[in-house]
Amino acid sequence: MKSLFGLSFLALSVTLLCGQTATYKPPRMADGHPNLNGIWEAMNTANWNLLDHPASAGPMWELGAIAAVPAGQGVVEGKVIPYKPEAAAKQKENFKNRRTDDPEAKCYMPGIPRANYMPYPFQIVQTNRDILFVYEYATSNRLINMGKPQEAPSDTWMGTNNGRWEGDTLVIDVTGLNGLAWLDRAGDFASDKVHIVERFTRTGADHLTYTATIEDPSVFTKTWTISMPLYRKVEKDAQLLEFKCTEFAEELLYGKYKKAK
Amino acid sequence: MRIQLSIALALGLCAASVAPVWAHHSFEAEFDLARPVHLVGKVTSMEWINPHSWIHVDVADANGNVQNWMIECGSPNIMLRRGFTKRSLEVGTEITVQGYQAKNGTLRANGSSITFKDGKKLFVGGSNPDVPDDQKK
Amino acid sequence: MNVRLIASITLLAAGTVTAQSPKATYTPPKTPWGDPDLQGVWPGNMGVPMQRPVALGARTTLTNEEFAKKQEQALRQAKADSESTAASDTKPGIGPPSYWTERGKPTRQTSLIVDPPDGRLPALTPEAEHYRKEAKLPGEWRGKADSPEDLNIYYRCITRGLLGSVIPVVYNNGNQILQTPGYVVFRNEMIHESRVIPLDGRPHVSPAIRMYLGDSRGHWEGSTLVVETTNFTDKDAIGSNGAGYPGDPGYHSDQLKVIEKFTRTGPKSLDYTATVIDPKTWTKPWTMLIQLEKDDSYQIIEYACHEGNYAMGDILSGAREAETKKDVH
Repeated sequence: MKSLFGLSFLALSVTLLCGQTATYKPPRMADGHPNLNGIWEAMNTANWNLLDHPASAGPMWELGAIAAVPAGQGVVEGKVIPYKPEAAAKQKENFKNRRTDDPEAKCYMPGIPRANYMPYPFQIVQTNRDILFVYEYATSNRLINMGKPQEAPSDTWMGTNNGRWEGDTLVIDVTGLNGLAWLDRAGDFASDKVHIVERFTRTGADHLTYTATIEDPSVFTKTWTISMPLYRKVEKDAQLLEFKCTEFAEELLYGKYKKAK
Repeated sequence: MRIQLSIALALGLCAASVAPVWAHHSFEAEFDLARPVHLVGKVTSMEWINPHSWIHVDVADANGNVQNWMIECGSPNIMLRRGFTKRSLEVGTEITVQGYQAKNGTLRANGSSITFKDGKKLFVGGSNPDVPDDQKK
Repeated sequence: MNVRLIASITLLAAGTVTAQSPKATYTPPKTPWGDPDLQGVWPGNMGVPMQRPVALGARTTLTNEEFAKKQEQALRQAKADSESTAASDTKPGIGPPSYWTERGKPTRQTSLIVDPPDGRLPALTPEAEHYRKEAKLPGEWRGKADSPEDLNIYYRCITRGLLGSVIPVVYNNGNQILQTPGYVVFRNEMIHESRVIPLDGRPHVSPAIRMYLGDSRGHWEGSTLVVETTNFTDKDAIGSNGAGYPGDPGYHSDQLKVIEKFTRTGPKSLDYTATVIDPKTWTKPWTMLIQLEKDDSYQIIEYACHEGNYAMGDILSGAREAETKKDVH
């Protein structure tokens, strides 16, 4: 009797104390699925580097501390990206050349999974059928096909995205990526053979948990997973603005072809 | 005469009043009308990208030296909607290209005539044995 | 041979064009949350000029005879595009093969502009008139390519602008409407725009924030979605793929306001109108009508333009190459 009371008191206090619990019940769309609508953004340093990293100088001293890399705890489960030896060498090469070779510097579309942890918001637009992800960075977007899965007719920057629900989790199967985007500013990468499975789960009024499992036997010795919370932008009238960065990258891309003054 | 003219105007080259026929960039700025090319070679790869796709072709010159040319095509979206895929153009396929070389002198060309050996247009022609059956439209 | 394409061209375009948006005699179904449902893929058909030929006067539709000629022409073009063999006597043009086009179906509309009633742009303001006279031709039309800014914003793969992204051209006229509670999204294939339009009556962002596609706000009037967009830059134009050069006919100021109306007129048809209000440029507002037809089998494919833009480097380096040759002689 006493223990029963104690147990239910414990359960009640856990529910009251935590803003979110494992048994969070999200609001639902008319079709019964959780409502993922909203403007979301990561709040971590994954875009700098998926792995644990200390603070360090950036590739451009001219910008001082503004271009320096903050310290960050990694988002990779197991703390290691399992590169094959030749791929590990390629990652180091990418890192060395990151100032000119990072596709983010060129304003190229960030690909998956990187689009989801860029330092720019994105909006999930969940219709009564398909789901659209609209990313502020470089006006990227991707449509998640929630009907019969489609094969990728050709490779793209944002992939061919087939989605389904597993209980209250949105699962997105991503293929058809072109292997040209990076996974972060540290030069982590995958090839055009990569197969990614993402999971989006609401864990509270203003939180999602995002995981992505990355499988690419041509680059990695085994499948690996990243995981992070995503935060809702709760300010009044939050909206995406425009970051069409092409013209900001033109000097980098075409400066050498300009007429000398 | 006037009525005929008005009909002609109304029906006239749609493209002229809406947009340039080629909806993207000025090809005259990129390619040189004074440098026509006639290339015969084997496909090494194809970039199904926008704003224009590019076919990479190994072309042997008069001395037998092989050079890899890039040939500019149209937006791939149209072809993909017609059922072609990234696997539709097989490596090794022999094609003939008539077009114009890039102004910067590189091995790039634009061609409005890209055909198979037998004169059949690349990507068009339901009876072309080089096109897989399920992609013939 | 593209049988489907030719078959669709032989069908007469349904419906006629009226000068103003037709009354909503069709009531569309509703979304589960009670908004009129405009969702679907609505690709555009090219072939309607922006401005009406003067000789057609106030006529908004072609006669049967005129339309039959247009269909015939389209059929011939489609046949030519899909001919399986190359004509041996054809001199190659400078553009890519013509069978890489998607011209869509011919329609009876005489011009996109339906107001003013003559289907032509209203007079420019004196300031705009003066500006147009002073403006030079865009850099690349003078054979000048000193830097990226000499090329227009479409060649640079920046954007085609709000209206430029929906005015139909030779290919990639994919438009998709998606809805969720409180929002409508208008998604254009070229160049991968997704305009998220809030319906909750919030104010526009500050005038300090200018955007190529402006800042959109929507509301319902019956079953019509009305979208007001402000906060434009002055760097693009309307028509010509939005290639925004001063001197372009559609060039606008940053005072531009666009009011779009989306009205479903039948199970497979939607009237899209856009009223252009820019008192710094045109002495009167003007309105375009684009009639769209539903085709959910049309697959919108990623148009990653900037990422594959070899042309920029080639055009600029080609101009540098031409200069060295000139210096030598």
